[in-house]
Amino acid sequence: MSNIEFSIDDKKLEALPGETVLKAALRNGIDIPYLCYHPCLSIAGNCRICLVRIKGRPGFHPSCNLPVAPGMEIESDCEDVSAVRKNVMQFITLNHPVDCPVCDKAGECKLQNYHFKYNGSASLSIDAKKHKPKFYDVNERILLDAERCILCSRCVRFTHEISKSGMLGITERGQQSRVEHLESGAAKDDYSDNIIQNCPVGALLSRDFLYKSRVWYLEPVASVCNGCARGCSVDVWRRKHHWKVRALGSEKNRMAYRITAKQNDDINGRWICNKGFDLNKQINDFASRATKPAIGGMDATCQDALSEARKLIFEAKKPAAIVSAHASNEELEAFKKTLGSRVEVYVRKDYEPAAGEVVEDELLIKADKNPNSTKVEELFGKESFSAAAGHDLVLVWGDNVEYSALSGAKIIHLATQKPNGNPDVLIPISTQFERKGSYTNFEGKVNRFEQVFDKPELVLHASDVFGRL
Amino acid sequence: MSCLKEQFDELRKIYPDEIKDAMVLPLLQMTLKAKGHLVESDALYIADYLELPAMQVKEAMTWYSMLYRTPVGKHVVKVCRSVACSLRGEQRIVAHISKKLGIKPGETTADNKFTLLEVECLASCGTAPMMQINDTYHEDLTEAKIDQILEALQ
Ligand code: SF4
Ligand code: SF4
Ligand code: FES
Ligand code: FES
Repeated sequence: MSNIEFSIDDKKLEALPGETVLKAALRNGIDIPYLCYHPCLSIAGNCRICLVRIKGRPGFHPSCNLPVAPGMEIESDCEDVSAVRKNVMQFITLNHPVDCPVCDKAGECKLQNYHFKYNGSASLSIDAKKHKPKFYDVNERILLDAERCILCSRCVRFTHEISKSGMLGITERGQQSRVEHLESGAAKDDYSDNIIQNCPVGALLSRDFLYKSRVWYLEPVASVCNGCARGCSVDVWRRKHHWKVRALGSEKNRMAYRITAKQNDDINGRWICNKGFDLNKQINDFASRATKPAIGGMDATCQDALSEARKLIFEAKKPAAIVSAHASNEELEAFKKTLGSRVEVYVRKDYEPAAGEVVEDELLIKADKNPNSTKVEELFGKESFSAAAGHDLVLVWGDNVEYSALSGAKIIHLATQKPNGNPDVLIPISTQFERKGSYTNFEGKVNRFEQVFDKPELVLHASDVFGRL
Repeated sequence: MSCLKEQFDELRKIYPDEIKDAMVLPLLQMTLKAKGHLVESDALYIADYLELPAMQVKEAMTWYSMLYRTPVGKHVVKVCRSVACSLRGEQRIVAHISKKLGIKPGETTADNKFTLLEVECLASCGTAPMMQINDTYHEDLTEAKIDQILEALQ
């Protein structure tokens, strides 16, 4: 089928067969406002902010639900349409508290932006606003401010159509309508946090992020979730340079305030799972971070730790290395080039599914809880370390290792986290968030991550270490 | 529940599986008839029976004003409080009925004869203000008319 010619505000455009006016407009860079529409969800057509006119036809039509017809002439930028949008905004904010100064969504709220753009005048209503529950528990991760909810049903449609938990619905009618879950049983959904991001207003709130920061102090940095072999694209939100805290609380400057899903149609679409939303807990876990080089459990300088490690490798009769499925493509290549031929190489998956964790599902989550198994196995095969091979030295690269499984060999450990025990040499290395790089996911797709924070002073980049051993 | 289940099974024979959602309302009505009023567990039971998300059934259950969610008396007086009726004096109407029956909206008289409810639009906006008692619509209400109607039901 060929494209359909039509026009918006006298601009000639082409729509794909079956496209709606809103979709075609957005694709062509024409900004028709919308609240309830979401490209991945079914059309609800209930917010009415997307109304447009069709020349030669009476009335206004919701453009999200209007298929383009050949020769259709749409008016989206005339006085009538603006007046209608203003009225719709008056209606939507009739019972909305408009408490932007204390709302987490302020600064990235569609309602706030449209209010500013299309309405801009005070409420016409003289009646008291209708009050609804504040801080209604959606689940242990999410709160709902029902007064801010505009009943667009995006969250409800998400739980029915995407995550399929069906945990939410809109109960009651008219002014009493609100989003609720069943009274019996907690609202369980392994993808629930996506609804926070997808709520066009500040009704759904992340308990983790609640009142932690105004969003305009923060900026997103593109990264990749390391929680499973899917390797979803995420944004890590750090403090903007200009807004760095200069007095008390300097740890806030290297904190990941929140994680959001980053659209990547090849890998994760627009969603990530809740484990991905919890990535900030891993990043902010300063207590278990390895930050100081050590020799036999005693603090040492980087220089001494490196020369001790070099000596051990030099003296070893049968050295081996265990490489981690959490290392980036670049680091793995560097290892292969520098040390790969001098030692026997085994691969290791740092993480197995934890107790109670979803092992695998049909949407995103994969059973392999490591981000880069594909590349490790491509470069070094699948063989895992066995004590029977009789190695007298093991260079362990990665976390979560039990030394008892290494049968008394000498150990050089390259770790991002404090190990359980004292290796002969400990070299702290940078985490994924302290350097650039890429992972290869289970389908062989390469996904790049940017550097979010600087590495601590005494920590080294693994790829710099290998050449010096 | 067992005889209710038989009624459900009977009805299910007529509905093709692809449109089993359409059975939500009749099943809710059957349950209402059998039990007098509905609670969340009834929605769960129906959802389970039809293999639908429970929230979907609960949405339907809370949407319709004829699906009672508290015990009701013999005559259920439902006064529309939506915009047309509200503009034409709904509050006055409710106040009058309240006084007459001695109950507030949501309550039932001690003799179990009347329940007073405020509900959303009953789709008779053109004849606002209006109320529904059991299955009958009473339109263009005035205080005098209400007195007459309620007296006839005493
Ligand atoms: S909570 Fe947000 S997403 Fe859900 S219906 Fe309300 S406004 Fe829409
Ligand atoms: S599906 Fe896997 S990669 Fe994606 S967010 Fe969840 S744990 Fe992370
Ligand atoms: S976006 Fe069209 S009605 Fe909401
Ligand atoms: S507003 Fe009362 S019947 Fe519609």
